[in-house]
Amino acid sequence: MDHANDNSINVAVMVKLEPDLSEGNVSYNPDGTLNRSQTKNILGPHSAIACRAAMYAKTCYNAWVAVCSMGPPTAEIALKDAMAICCADELHLYSDRIFAGADTLATAETIKHGIIRMGRRIDLVFSGHRAVDGETGQTGPQTAWKLGFNFIGNVIDYSIDVERRMVRARRKVYLPSLYTVLEDVECPLPALIALDPSYKDEYRRVSERLRYARLEKEARRRVMDYKSYLRIWSAKDLGVDVRYVGLAGSPTIVYKVEKIPKVKASRRARVVDPSNLDDLREVGNLILNIALGER
Amino acid sequence: MDRFDAVIVGGGSAGLAALMELSKLGVQAVLLESGKPVGSKNISGGILYSKNYPYGKVYNVEDIYPNFQDEAPVERRITRYYLNALSGNKVYTIDLTEAHNYRTNFAYSVLMARLNRWFAERAEEEAAKMGGGIVDGVHVRDIIWMDDSSSSSSGNSSNSIIITDELEEFGARAIIAADGVNSEVALISNARGKFKPESLYQGVKCVVRLPEDIIDERFDVSNDEGVAHLFAGDISRGHNGGGFLYTNRDTLSVGLVYHLDSLLKSPIEPYNLLNEFLTIPVITNYIVDEVPVPKEVDRTLPREEQLRIRFGLSRLLKQYEELRYTYYSKHERLNAIRQGLYSSEEEIKARLDDVRKRLEQEYGVSFTHDYVELEYSCKLVPDGKRAMMDKPYKHNVLFVGDAAGKGIFLGTRIEGINIGMDDAARAARAVARAKEMNNFSEDYMGRYYAQLVNDSPYTHDIRRIDFEYMKIFVRACRNIPIEPFPLFLKLAFMLIQKTAVQELAGAIARMLDQNTLLRIIESNDAYVKIPMEVAERVGNEVKPIAMIKPLSIDERIARMKIREDEIAHIRMKDPRSRFIKAMVHLCPTKCYIMEVGDGERGMERGGEEDARVGTKEKVGARIVTSNVILQHEGCIECGTCSLETEWRHTRGEKGIAYNYG
Repeated sequence: MDHANDNSINVAVMVKLEPDLSEGNVSYNPDGTLNRSQTKNILGPHSAIACRAAMYAKTCYNAWVAVCSMGPPTAEIALKDAMAICCADELHLYSDRIFAGADTLATAETIKHGIIRMGRRIDLVFSGHRAVDGETGQTGPQTAWKLGFNFIGNVIDYSIDVERRMVRARRKVYLPSLYTVLEDVECPLPALIALDPSYKDEYRRVSERLRYARLEKEARRRVMDYKSYLRIWSAKDLGVDVRYVGLAGSPTIVYKVEKIPKVKASRRARVVDPSNLDDLREVGNLILNIALGER
Repeated sequence: MDRFDAVIVGGGSAGLAALMELSKLGVQAVLLESGKPVGSKNISGGILYSKNYPYGKVYNVEDIYPNFQDEAPVERRITRYYLNALSGNKVYTIDLTEAHNYRTNFAYSVLMARLNRWFAERAEEEAAKMGGGIVDGVHVRDIIWMDDSSSSSSGNSSNSIIITDELEEFGARAIIAADGVNSEVALISNARGKFKPESLYQGVKCVVRLPEDIIDERFDVSNDEGVAHLFAGDISRGHNGGGFLYTNRDTLSVGLVYHLDSLLKSPIEPYNLLNEFLTIPVITNYIVDEVPVPKEVDRTLPREEQLRIRFGLSRLLKQYEELRYTYYSKHERLNAIRQGLYSSEEEIKARLDDVRKRLEQEYGVSFTHDYVELEYSCKLVPDGKRAMMDKPYKHNVLFVGDAAGKGIFLGTRIEGINIGMDDAARAARAVARAKEMNNFSEDYMGRYYAQLVNDSPYTHDIRRIDFEYMKIFVRACRNIPIEPFPLFLKLAFMLIQKTAVQELAGAIARMLDQNTLLRIIESNDAYVKIPMEVAERVGNEVKPIAMIKPLSIDERIARMKIREDEIAHIRMKDPRSRFIKAMVHLCPTKCYIMEVGDGERGMERGGEEDARVGTKEKVGARIVTSNVILQHEGCIECGTCSLETEWRHTRGEKGIAYNYG
């Protein structure tokens, strides 16, 4: 494929169907675990962020966008929701009984094959931070590794230099209990970007806003007819090696799930009556002592 | 830099009408709105009129949006209009339908936030054809005009740059300021000062939920028809103002409107006034509904069990509510059956009864009488006859609607939205002509707009009291029985009930000057004393069918959708002024509070205390209150405090977002 003079940008987004944990929609079994059959499924919130990043590419760089997902046939709901956000040009669902029971590595293998077979040179792949029902955040990086793409994680902002075929991204690096660092990195395309939950798409020009509004409307129109944009792939269609996908391709074993014990508070708390002057004075004195370093 | 022929600031009904009209006239126009989505900062009392005049044309909503009557999400067509005189639990009702119908094609009750979203869709569609559109979540901070004097003669330069909090700056050849009663563009351009309290009303409103069929039955209406009730009398603690209650499809708009200067004279909390109003038997009987009261979850149960109960209950309550609002609405009922969700009305009823039984038996839910408040809101309203700008233009800016101080408010005649839309259509025509001649100057475009506005019959009605309307009003009072009144009032009523005298009164009124007449019409006697007198002597007693518990202001604030702007958009100038102290009471969301100073620390300022203010008693006489503190969290941007503050709207997407409006 020769793309030397091609300034187009092709984007793929990987999304996941996840349980809707909002009140009124979620159900629990008597033992406190999630009742999946009674709980509504929607596009995961982190996947939605990945879609917003793709929409940014579509608005500002006129990118072609495809959304893909691995899951049961009902996962097309997630693709439909994703389309509403990023006005996708194509929807790909990788659905096959063979894929069932996949861990992150096996999922990455499936998605890799999907992205390779999208029929276009893919320049940029977006993934969410993690899933609300898995919380590992590994599928994105593993897919990048399998594709041989550069990986940039925890991205809160990005721009593309179409001429130089480079992507510049701002990463939010968390150093637990120390501080947060913002890091600007640049790397050549193709790349896979995992978005930080605090990613915010900013459109700074009126013309961009207007274009965004038009795409949003186009997205609404497409969603009404999303099935005609949808292609469902079986394992055979993707040409995957069945040893590396689904349960067979999953080295992870979940042998036990534990509830996180509640941390016992080591502080003492007392309720203060705001109309009681003595109480307030005591609070004031305590604050004063701390301020003066007397403890 | 982006550059546009026309930029509209503000996406209310007037701004959107301007966008629609400009686009129809072939002008590329961009509308900026700080709320997101468009409509989320718009509220109105809620009636939209379409009018016709024998002299001159007005641009009505259906002229601007041709499919308005068939498609717009209006609530109900208002076919009856009443004025109620109140005193205690006595009420006397006067039918003002004839006055309401005066020069009216139609009138709908509307919920502005919802309706504006529809207007926005239509206008955006039209604007896209010209390469324009709507940009929401953007707040205009400043406008720069370049060599204004020279451009007015040569005329063809794009001479203004718009600076926003959110976007890169861009150019505009013409600007339509539709940014409402607290217009910032008016101040930026120096076109006018802030409106004075005597030119403003403060309105508070709550939207109350009630199933459609229950509204039909309670107000005796059908076929999407609706009723408007106005109220006067002892609802105001002596302030000049009145109440209203309009029927929407499955909600009611209930609220109060007061002259701001009257409120400033003896400040009182608007939410308390509203709550007093809601608990008057007449009003309570209109808004009361049957509501489920969940039982407290037993805290001794295991946590998992508690969770299970809580989630189960909230699912079932949601189901109950949906079923109930489906069953008690002919539209929803038919819809649900057509969609195949249920086979018959009986089935919905059976399901509803079943869910109700489960709620009672499995979760111990009881049902009681109360009302369901969905949304609380507040707005300043410019009183057209005092606030209207003489010169509604400056540089390349044209002012429309509330921003230009428009509105017809005369006793029971209440119109605002239609007037703003009429303005917008005229401004669009002025801009289109300016574009054609490539001259956007004040002298050319501005003056032409002023002339167009001057031709509007609405402008005429704002300037002069319409005696035809007054005559119809007086005629409506004809049937008040006069016997029980004291001599003076009896005489007065007798006079207005004689046709010949009416004519004579009309002639005399015509001779009096406008201000003298206004003093009579807007006197405390007219607002409060006479209605009370009427209600007391000839009114019917209304027995409350139930007691309701109005929400406290804290509960209301907790339910609001407010996205805090970390940068304060209001700054006090003098935290000790009389005006700011009044705000402690008049702010509809309690943003102003009295600081409790400590006498020992030298903050004592004896003598100048407002006795009504503060928590003096609690902390003893030695400690006095002095400064007012502003907490802008919870501000709903009504602008009541704007006169003596540096006041701006919040930045884009921040601040209040109304659901109903």
